[in-house]
Amino acid sequence: MFRFVARRILESIPLLLGIAVLSFIFMQLAPGGPDALFARNGRMTADQLANIRHSMGLDRPPHEQLLTWIVNIFRGNLGVSYSQFRPVSEVIAEVFPNTVILMTAGLLISLVVALVFGILAARRPYGIFDNITSFITYFGLAMPVFWFGLMLQLLFAVRLGWLPSAGMYSPEAGGFPDLLRHLVLPAFTIGIGSIAGWSRYVRSSTIEQISLDYVRSARSKGLSERRVMTGHVLRNSLIPLVTVVGIDVPLYLTGAVLTETIFSWPGMGRLFFDALTVRDYPILMGTLVLGAILIVIGNLVADLLYGLLDPRISYS
Amino acid sequence: MVDLIPRPDRYGDKGPDLDSVNGLIQARIDGAISRRQLIRRAAALAVAAPVVGAMLHATSDMAYGAPSQGRTRAILRAAQADATIPVEGPTAPEGEPQAGGTVTIGTNEEPDTLNPYLTQLVTGSDITTGIMDTLLRYDSTQTLYPALAEEFSVSDDGLTYTFTLREGVTFHNGDAFGPQDVIDTWKMIMNKDFAAFSVLGWEKITDITSPDERTVVMGTSEAFAPFLTYVATDYGSCISPVSELAKGPEKFKAEFGRTGIIGTGPVKFVEWVPKQQVVVEKNADYWGEPMILDKVIIRFLPDDSTQLVQLRTGEIQMAVGAGALGALRVDEALGIKGVTVLEHASPGWSHLDLKHVFFLRHPLVRQALDFATPSQDIVDKLLKGRSVRSVADQQPGTWAYNPDIEPRPFDLEQAKAKLTEAGLTQTAEGGWEGKVPTDDPMVLDGEVMPFEMELWGIAGDAQSQQIIQIIGQAWNQAGIKTTPNFQDVSTLWGPEGYQWKPDTMTACLYSWFNSNDPDDMFYWHSSQIPDSPTGSGGNAIAYFNKFNFQDEIDKLTEDAARETDQAARKVLYDQIQVLLHEQVPVIFISWGKSFPTLSNKIGGFWPSAFNRMLWDVNKWYLV
Repeated sequence: MFRFVARRILESIPLLLGIAVLSFIFMQLAPGGPDALFARNGRMTADQLANIRHSMGLDRPPHEQLLTWIVNIFRGNLGVSYSQFRPVSEVIAEVFPNTVILMTAGLLISLVVALVFGILAARRPYGIFDNITSFITYFGLAMPVFWFGLMLQLLFAVRLGWLPSAGMYSPEAGGFPDLLRHLVLPAFTIGIGSIAGWSRYVRSSTIEQISLDYVRSARSKGLSERRVMTGHVLRNSLIPLVTVVGIDVPLYLTGAVLTETIFSWPGMGRLFFDALTVRDYPILMGTLVLGAILIVIGNLVADLLYGLLDPRISYS
Repeated sequence: MVDLIPRPDRYGDKGPDLDSVNGLIQARIDGAISRRQLIRRAAALAVAAPVVGAMLHATSDMAYGAPSQGRTRAILRAAQADATIPVEGPTAPEGEPQAGGTVTIGTNEEPDTLNPYLTQLVTGSDITTGIMDTLLRYDSTQTLYPALAEEFSVSDDGLTYTFTLREGVTFHNGDAFGPQDVIDTWKMIMNKDFAAFSVLGWEKITDITSPDERTVVMGTSEAFAPFLTYVATDYGSCISPVSELAKGPEKFKAEFGRTGIIGTGPVKFVEWVPKQQVVVEKNADYWGEPMILDKVIIRFLPDDSTQLVQLRTGEIQMAVGAGALGALRVDEALGIKGVTVLEHASPGWSHLDLKHVFFLRHPLVRQALDFATPSQDIVDKLLKGRSVRSVADQQPGTWAYNPDIEPRPFDLEQAKAKLTEAGLTQTAEGGWEGKVPTDDPMVLDGEVMPFEMELWGIAGDAQSQQIIQIIGQAWNQAGIKTTPNFQDVSTLWGPEGYQWKPDTMTACLYSWFNSNDPDDMFYWHSSQIPDSPTGSGGNAIAYFNKFNFQDEIDKLTEDAARETDQAARKVLYDQIQVLLHEQVPVIFISWGKSFPTLSNKIGGFWPSAFNRMLWDVNKWYLV
């Protein structure tokens, strides 16, 4: 087990390096650049433009920029943002925890609801409950996030006045209860998209498991339906879900631009999007590499979970 | 010495001093003489023309319109809330003004930095104008008033500026303000390692000295009329304390604008929570009228709908500044109870640039496109009159504006007639084709080519997309095949952008923003044509071919920038506008407007195009 984890981590280093190099190349190939807006400002002199380019390091050849960047990464230095003039690690460290909070809440909501919906729907396929959950999940899949978010705001913040409409904390308050109140609407908005997909996975794998011989054996032993579901079926039907969630979680952690924008949530999605519009290469590279690291970790955790769920899978 | 506060009784029996530059400026500010008298008297004293220009800046006679007196106050009543209210003075809601309180503002864009010399975003200077001071400031009638400098004088040759600094001013960290702060600010702005965003005006300074603790003397390399406007009032010309500047360019860049902004303004910086809010609070030691409110919170709400929702719930009381609601959102804002939507001019002009290649080099073809563009319909119907039709590059209501130019009507028949007159022919399918000009833009003698346009716009801008759809349909109706394209700004202006492709005829919708001076060399002069796709310069549309009227526009804009007599200058700008309307280097569409939206309980708020959001924050109050 330990050797397995160690090997996977070692293997991921060249992978991450490759991703870093590729993202750098893509960024260089992408049209436009961080100096485009300066160049088209009529009030900017040629001298000033050269100065600004020099301060961004854009006057050096691309391979040199890449090499410096990679060497710096190993020193724990992600560079300095072009637009905010301060270390990228500082910029990311400020917003990453916010993203983790929102996404964890969203994940928990969607995991719980997806499991409940999926299993209940699978017990009587095409029954009333199955049809209702199908309707809800497809609605969740089809409705646009910005519309759903706005509807939640209008209902819970404007009409009922129960919850704040946006932000992470009230302007002059703080603390955990305030955070929770701000978390409800965006977490639910984030979660609803995944509820749709995940509950279908749970439903189909549960239906598949229920029809297998071991379930019939369990039932014939006289186990209650509840014991059969929780003790036997659930565990096995989770395996495909773990795969999907293992892939989705890292994507979650890199942020969700739309939800963060509607609810003014200070997260990674907005950071990445804002950096993209002004071509802030250092921030973009930093967030891309962080995203890659999270995907590697997510996959590793998923692999380890397989072993826990299914003893037949071993890591020798 | 010039005292910027009018004191009509200062002369006693002697009458104003009309024999010196500074005496004339003072007399003009006090209303003792007219602008015309000042110019005549200066001429009689043989004062050089550039100095007269500087004097006119000092007296605010270069301002939009004449300095206005006896302004009316806009009384806001809830009953009027079904329409936007033009700003004529500070808001004065009914009710008892209260001392203290907190106001929360929503803005849709987070500043990049609060370092005044580095921020590229108006939302940055929206905040810094409350925290930091410049030597002088403009109010909402575009009249100069004293800030860190109480008085100033200009030498007769126009090369030396002497500022008398205000006494007893302290920075928020307790440091006393003095001449060294001005000197070190200049050094930082000009420091190459610092790479300031704008050095306009500051680069003309050759040396700054301080003969005593209250005086700074700036020597300049040439007489430059807008010097005062740029160096004494520009948003990027705030004065920083020596103690912060001494940390060096690297540290000053990384820290000052993020965690440590310190100034002499009515509010002090408290905190910046990334992507959430900036908080500022009352500076009890402010040199001017102390702030009435206790605190102002600026919340970042990137989505317009969220701003509207929060105005409705009362979570924010103002959506103002550069990050306020756009014209398309005004109707929704008007529907919110207890909220008023103000309206004031903006110096931004929306236009379609035209890359001067192939047929677009010919003025008749560009005129045809102007006839085929339903600009008036866009202003009236799409923007519901929430913008003003433009005919050239000077804003209506400013002294440089030429009111005698009639915009071309939307008329597809005239458009077709112009194309025919230019030498193009209509094909059986209804499209247009013709020989492209080779050498002389007026002679179509090259290869035959169809007339097809690429129409470009900024991705993600809903208003821009709607305007482009309307124009595209109209041009297609005229037989000019048009394809719409959208890209983000960094791509549009980058070296792979549409403007560097030699083989396509293109038009792109965007806005330029004028400064307080009508100088427009930035846009049209041949010196502003970039030498490569990564070069600097605002006149990219003439990159492949200079304008067919380049010599004429070069001379006119140069003369107008040099001319400091306003009346003579106005004649030149009138001519420039006539020329631009006739030649159509770009298709002028409209002037924007700003729509500050706020609760009916906020008084003392007086926004304009001449200053930024927190400029008069000390006067805001709640009822």
